Amino acid sequence: MSLLELDGVHAYYGDSHILEGVDLSVEDGEVVALVGRNGVGKTTTLRSILQLTPPREGEIRFREASLVGLETHEVAQQGVGWIPEDRRIFSQLTVEENLRAAIPGSDGVSDGLALAFDSFPILEERRRQEAGTLSGGQQQMLAIARGLVGENDLLLVDEPSEGLAPQIVADVAEALSEASEDATMLLVEQNLPLALDLADRFYIVDNGRVVDTGDADAVSADDERFRRYLSA
Amino acid sequence: MILETLADFLTVSELGSVLVEGLAKSALYVMIASGLTLIFGLMGVLNFAHGSLTMVGAYLGGLVMVLTVSQSTGLVGRLGLFFVAIVLVFGALTLLGGAIETTIIRPLYDRPPIYQILLTFGLTLVVDEVVRIVLGLYGMQPLSDWQAALATKPQLLREPAALGPIEVRWLSVFEILLGVLTVAAIWAFLTRTRYGLYIRAGSEDTEMASALGIDVRQVFTVVFALGIGLAGAAGTLLMWDVAWGASVPLAAETLLPAFIVVIVGGLGTFRGTVVASLVVGMTDSTMTWWFQNYVTFTGLPELMLFLVLVVTLIVRPQGLFGVEEVGGH
Amino acid sequence: MAGLDWPTDYLRAHVPHLAIVSLLALYPSIYHLLANSLGLYEAEILLPGVETMTAVLYFGLFAMSFDFISGYTGYLSFGHAAFYGTGAYTVILVANGAVPLLGPGTPFVVSLLVAGLLAVLLALVVGLVSFRLSGVYFAMITLGFAQVLYVFIRGWDYVARNPRDGPSVGPTHSEGFQLGVPGVDQLNVAIGVLTGDEVTMLGHTLGGTAVSYYAIGAVVLLCYFAMQRIIHSPFGRVMIAIRENEERAVAIGYDTYRYKLAAFAVSGFFAAIAGGLFAGFRRSASPENSFYFLTTGDALLASIIGGFGTLAGPLFGRLFDETVREFLSKSGQGGGLLPYLRAGLGEETLSTPVVGNTSLGTLIDTLLNGHASLYIGIVFVLFVLYVPDGLLGTVRQRVGGKLAHVSAVRFGDGSTANATTDDATGEEE
Repeated sequence: MSLLELDGVHAYYGDSHILEGVDLSVEDGEVVALVGRNGVGKTTTLRSILQLTPPREGEIRFREASLVGLETHEVAQQGVGWIPEDRRIFSQLTVEENLRAAIPGSDGVSDGLALAFDSFPILEERRRQEAGTLSGGQQQMLAIARGLVGENDLLLVDEPSEGLAPQIVADVAEALSEASEDATMLLVEQNLPLALDLADRFYIVDNGRVVDTGDADAVSADDERFRRYLSA
Repeated sequence: MILETLADFLTVSELGSVLVEGLAKSALYVMIASGLTLIFGLMGVLNFAHGSLTMVGAYLGGLVMVLTVSQSTGLVGRLGLFFVAIVLVFGALTLLGGAIETTIIRPLYDRPPIYQILLTFGLTLVVDEVVRIVLGLYGMQPLSDWQAALATKPQLLREPAALGPIEVRWLSVFEILLGVLTVAAIWAFLTRTRYGLYIRAGSEDTEMASALGIDVRQVFTVVFALGIGLAGAAGTLLMWDVAWGASVPLAAETLLPAFIVVIVGGLGTFRGTVVASLVVGMTDSTMTWWFQNYVTFTGLPELMLFLVLVVTLIVRPQGLFGVEEVGGH
Repeated sequence: MAGLDWPTDYLRAHVPHLAIVSLLALYPSIYHLLANSLGLYEAEILLPGVETMTAVLYFGLFAMSFDFISGYTGYLSFGHAAFYGTGAYTVILVANGAVPLLGPGTPFVVSLLVAGLLAVLLALVVGLVSFRLSGVYFAMITLGFAQVLYVFIRGWDYVARNPRDGPSVGPTHSEGFQLGVPGVDQLNVAIGVLTGDEVTMLGHTLGGTAVSYYAIGAVVLLCYFAMQRIIHSPFGRVMIAIRENEERAVAIGYDTYRYKLAAFAVSGFFAAIAGGLFAGFRRSASPENSFYFLTTGDALLASIIGGFGTLAGPLFGRLFDETVREFLSKSGQGGGLLPYLRAGLGEETLSTPVVGNTSLGTLIDTLLNGHASLYIGIVFVLFVLYVPDGLLGTVRQRVGGKLAHVSAVRFGDGSTANATTDDATGEEE
């Protein structure tokens, strides 16, 4: 069975119908990318999994158990991590406190910190610094590290390369591909080369629905099919 | 005339006592305001009932003292009982706060923030009137200070203390100590405990905190409860100060300065609240001195406090340490 | 929206107005008939007296002006009492000859207008600074300004011999304040409980209080229709747009800052008129019942119970408030619960112990009399929780007026506010 399954998910913001029946599934160990233009419902798909934007219709199953109706923290406690758009690090907390807030229970703190600092040595150098003073790239590292230390089986990663300089994007890509060795990932990414680099499989989202799917090889071979949905 | 008064003001003894009195006032302000700021910082609820619950704390603290202190109780006994009273009141009001949050505040999180102001405003009416009814049952005057509670204050705290050339009151010294203790305790709780970390994370971004697996709703309840507990502890201290005293109007008398402190400091930042308490306390004691020695306008200190509020909001709307978006629409 | 049959629509829209105004106009007669002529004691207990109804009218106007800015633009004007106080103090100070250029003989209507204009100035000054802020900060800065004025007025011995007690109308103006058309004696009546004119019409004599009730009621009605016109004009639609989604209003191209400022000035004007009527009727004011922040609190109470953002609702909210207060009033003169029980049950029943040594009378005395605030507070809390549209808002919703739609949108927006702001850039449009 799939690790994560979405079945006919509908979600709204106020009166606007954003997701109009999203179907997708993510297998254990995979990296799956959601691609599509701005505003078609990619971020909302991630938010609906986390119950931040609870679906009004449809089913979301994680390890075969429904997530619909749970509180967000309960979803997170089942092993779903979120590396959100705009990073959303706690800017007034130190780097270390940001990580501590993400580590479940107090027993795993030293292991968790070790894991994070191992993957991102720069964070160890800055551990006592307020996270708001980090550079954009470092903040993204912190956001990824926060996802890693949470003992998550599934990471929902939203636009990790947005707003970063190209050489930093490469670092982020490397960090994510390392992370993907331990965790399953559902990735939203506009940067197609980066998405191709990381993902095993693609879903193309348009107007609140999944309109196409394919594996990474298929996408590279048949760019036109995808570009249609990516150009503005 | 004004130059002579200014020269007077600038002598060591006068300036020193203004400073110490200012610190004492700051200590009271920080105690009154810290619960309010914790609650606002995390939940965005501006609790209008804070003053009323401070007033309830003053009466409950007074009650413990009146029941336990006898004429023969000495200084140590009275101070010891006072700490017992503060702990009891803190506990009782923490429970009350938890009950309030889960029953009537919680249903309102999904509504615009204005409704939380409205609800807590309604709560003040109910709380104040219940206190009046209870006082009525015991034949006590709601408008004047509860003298029996004031009488439990040890003799030492009524006397002046000389620190070198500076003459102050022992009560001020006691208030400063308690204020420092409270600030240290809250600071340690926020920065040294796991729960404190959750509170600070939640204050910045509740959604992100919950996505990390933190049960933010539970943190809300705990913080609201603790905030009300702090209000009660502050009230217990005020019961011994003749400038405040346990009475029903104490509710409004504490609510307004608490608002000033919290907004000047920046809604929701504890550091800001501490600094703002110092600013407001010093302004208060300086203006009180000028009123006593030069200016005849009775409302001078109070007027200046509200001017500090207005000027802060004009010059730096987010307060001294505030972050811009918090508390907006 | 404008249908072909607008005259019918117009009339239909005004049927409730006509009904309510006629009911209010007949009220003194109905009260007189029930309480005095028929001697129905129950009527006297339950119905507020005409003097109380007069207070409902002028304070209701104040609450409406509060609702005008707070309920329609969403900016909670927590310092609104400042305008009410400005109105009240201006009227009294003019009558006492304490205002430069305006002698004690200045017609009441003129000093009302002067008070209104002063409040407009004050609103502009306060608003220029305050409308750079929103939400809680706006509420707090307006509260701050009002409290500065309150503390100042309470300590300024120019306004009264004892400024803490506040001013009252002195010997330079011993006659009642004249409401009507200035300069035409026949079209003026004096108001006040003791100073009001008696008017005989159709063989029916109206006392000073009843005359004041009608005169003040006429002014309040005029002010209500003025505000109602503004709400239903394009200007009012911008006010509502600001409440629903200010960013969108800005995006469409409205200079919302100016609209808010203008709306604030208008509401300040009517608040001052209300304060002036209050002072003209009572002939005295204190800092506590005019400038103090709890006066704003009373307006807030009336608005929530009556219906926030309904304009007329706050008047009914105030009516509810005053009725309960009078019913549970401590004084026990005339109307009220205790005298009724005393008459109905007799002293013997009242002195029967119910709980321990406490008699029924004492119990009622401690739990009910003079404690209206408790019950009003509970009702208020219940309204905030369960009837957020208030009395009038709920009625209109049931009947299915325009407001129903507006307020449904408002709550829809509120519940998703957090979600949309976070995602506005990415996914919403």
